[in-house]
Amino acid sequence: MDLDKLRETAAEVAGRDDVKYLIGWKKGSYGYRIAPAFVEDAEAAAELIFSPLCTANLATYLTLVEKLPLPRGQEPDDRKVALMVKGCDSRAVAQLLAEKGIHRDEVVVIGCPCPGMVDPDLLAEKYPETEEPAELKWSDDGFVIVRDGEETAVPRDELLAEKCRLCRYPNPVVNDIMLDDPVETWEPAEDEGVTEIEEKEVDGRWAYWQEQFSNCIRCYSCRNVCPLCYCQDCILDRLNPTWVNRSVNFPENTAFNIARAFHLAGRCIECGECERVCPANIPLGKLNRKMAREIRDKYGFEPGLEPEGEPFQASYKPDDPEDFIL
Amino acid sequence: MSAMLLNKEKWPDFVGKLTGKKLWAPQGEGEEMRFAPVAEGEAPALEYGNTRVPPKQVVFPQTETMFRFQLGGEEVEVPEPEEETVLLGVRPCDARSMAIVDNLFGWEEDDPYYFKRRELVTLVGLACSEPGLNCFCTSVGGGPASTEGLDLLMTDLGEHYFLEAVTKKGEALLKEAGDLLEEAGEDKVKEKDKIIEESAGKIKRSVDHEGVPEGLPGLWEDPLWQRVSASCLGCGTCTYLCPTCHCFDIQDEVEGFDARRCRMWDSCMFGEYTLHTSGHNPRPTRRERTRNRINHKYSYFVDKFDVIACVGCGRCINLCPVNIDIVEILRQVKEAL
Repeated sequence: MDLDKLRETAAEVAGRDDVKYLIGWKKGSYGYRIAPAFVEDAEAAAELIFSPLCTANLATYLTLVEKLPLPRGQEPDDRKVALMVKGCDSRAVAQLLAEKGIHRDEVVVIGCPCPGMVDPDLLAEKYPETEEPAELKWSDDGFVIVRDGEETAVPRDELLAEKCRLCRYPNPVVNDIMLDDPVETWEPAEDEGVTEIEEKEVDGRWAYWQEQFSNCIRCYSCRNVCPLCYCQDCILDRLNPTWVNRSVNFPENTAFNIARAFHLAGRCIECGECERVCPANIPLGKLNRKMAREIRDKYGFEPGLEPEGEPFQASYKPDDPEDFIL
Repeated sequence: MSAMLLNKEKWPDFVGKLTGKKLWAPQGEGEEMRFAPVAEGEAPALEYGNTRVPPKQVVFPQTETMFRFQLGGEEVEVPEPEEETVLLGVRPCDARSMAIVDNLFGWEEDDPYYFKRRELVTLVGLACSEPGLNCFCTSVGGGPASTEGLDLLMTDLGEHYFLEAVTKKGEALLKEAGDLLEEAGEDKVKEKDKIIEESAGKIKRSVDHEGVPEGLPGLWEDPLWQRVSASCLGCGTCTYLCPTCHCFDIQDEVEGFDARRCRMWDSCMFGEYTLHTSGHNPRPTRRERTRNRINHKYSYFVDKFDVIACVGCGRCINLCPVNIDIVEILRQVKEAL
């Protein structure tokens, strides 16, 4: 992608009177890190980038802002928020729109067609991080790591993130401005991670998740990073009544993780952020993709594709065969 | 302080001498290592950078039952004290964090839950010869072979561990090991010093905190807090994985008629932290909460106990999902002063 064009467009959008700020990606403080950038003026737009390191789904910031009561006489700032999105991120925006979590006139969506991101853990494992910020670029058949002026070419398959191997929608499904021509879609890989667990006996599945959930430290980074976990009053924070105890142990951790998976069924757009941010390395993606697979197979429904569509959990069809519920 | 050598081949025997005590050591794979009880008869391999969850979990468990009771009953049952525990392979920063947190739990009155465990714990440290990318212990009062908080420090010399007792508990361990050990000669002392010096030289990051503890309160309304907190997700990763973070919440949990009062880690980055019953929260947004995290570590704690409540372990930097970097925040603080 042409970074000059990206920055020019961003500067223009961020400078608009009806735009509060623009959210994009910038180089982080060291190594392969990327930081979300909140751009309020043309100058700040100069730090924006779009590279194979921009894994983060920034759509979560649309609903993360705390809304405080305004002092008497003060008008609310209802200017738009501009957001840079990859294909998966745009599905989060589409789903938020469908659920009316946000409204179309509140956002300016800047689409970045996405050739696929690297898996940051895999990258750091194979090419250890150094304190100097490194750059990554796409080449025709993979990625190029640029560090201290030296370029290292890496084949695509070696570093491509799992969510991108499985991706079916690399091009933004909702956008106001497209920064580039759509990328050619690729044949999504088989989701072996989910299949492997499906093939286990019930006991084996239970043992697998018992081990995983026992590691959970209940930091809630999965919930907070999730663009579709945006309830103002989350069931997990409730104390009266307490639906999920604060005690950190296998049963409570399971209640938490299962509650989240259920609440995301038919809504998760498979951006993989929950799994990326989990400090306990719990394979949350498998859990959410299993739910997505069920909804796709049983109802033929995929969330985050139609901004004006009916949300899955709010829809009812009189001709539903109900062949497995009743 | 006596300096001894332990041939690594005798490490399992050394561990075997610690019978009757509960042993904890880093276990797991790669970056997911955590402190966990060692299976009987096993000698843990101490090949790791640092554990993801700090060993504070042993003296300050994430969830701790204070007492149990029956709904409608009249008696409370207080859990029995823990058994004597030895932590093997604690990194100096993490041991230092316990010495720092002791101040808080011993403030005015000793916290019985904390000190009950703390006193039963012996900390066997492992000096760092390969510091991590985000380590900055040397600029906040620590170092790769800091002995503060430790009972015994081991340094890896390749074939041997170099052992130095720091406290009486540490000396007792050396005495128990008896003939497994040999006296460390002058050359080995030099070898150890060289490894530590080289290790300190490998630490690339640092914070300049001169004037920060006194200056931070004056930056209360500085725009820097909005800037550094804008991308914060409000999750508990930085605080839960911080070895000096010690905030806790107390809850009563009930199952049927069985009830227990327990305390669990809390995080100043959560929206419900300091949320009043009235619905008011003095730290209503991530801006105030981030400001609190930095002020607590680099100002309030210094004011109260004369030590920075940050040991430079780098965990919050390594694991923040959105690259909020405390070294970078401190740089901006310094700039704003």
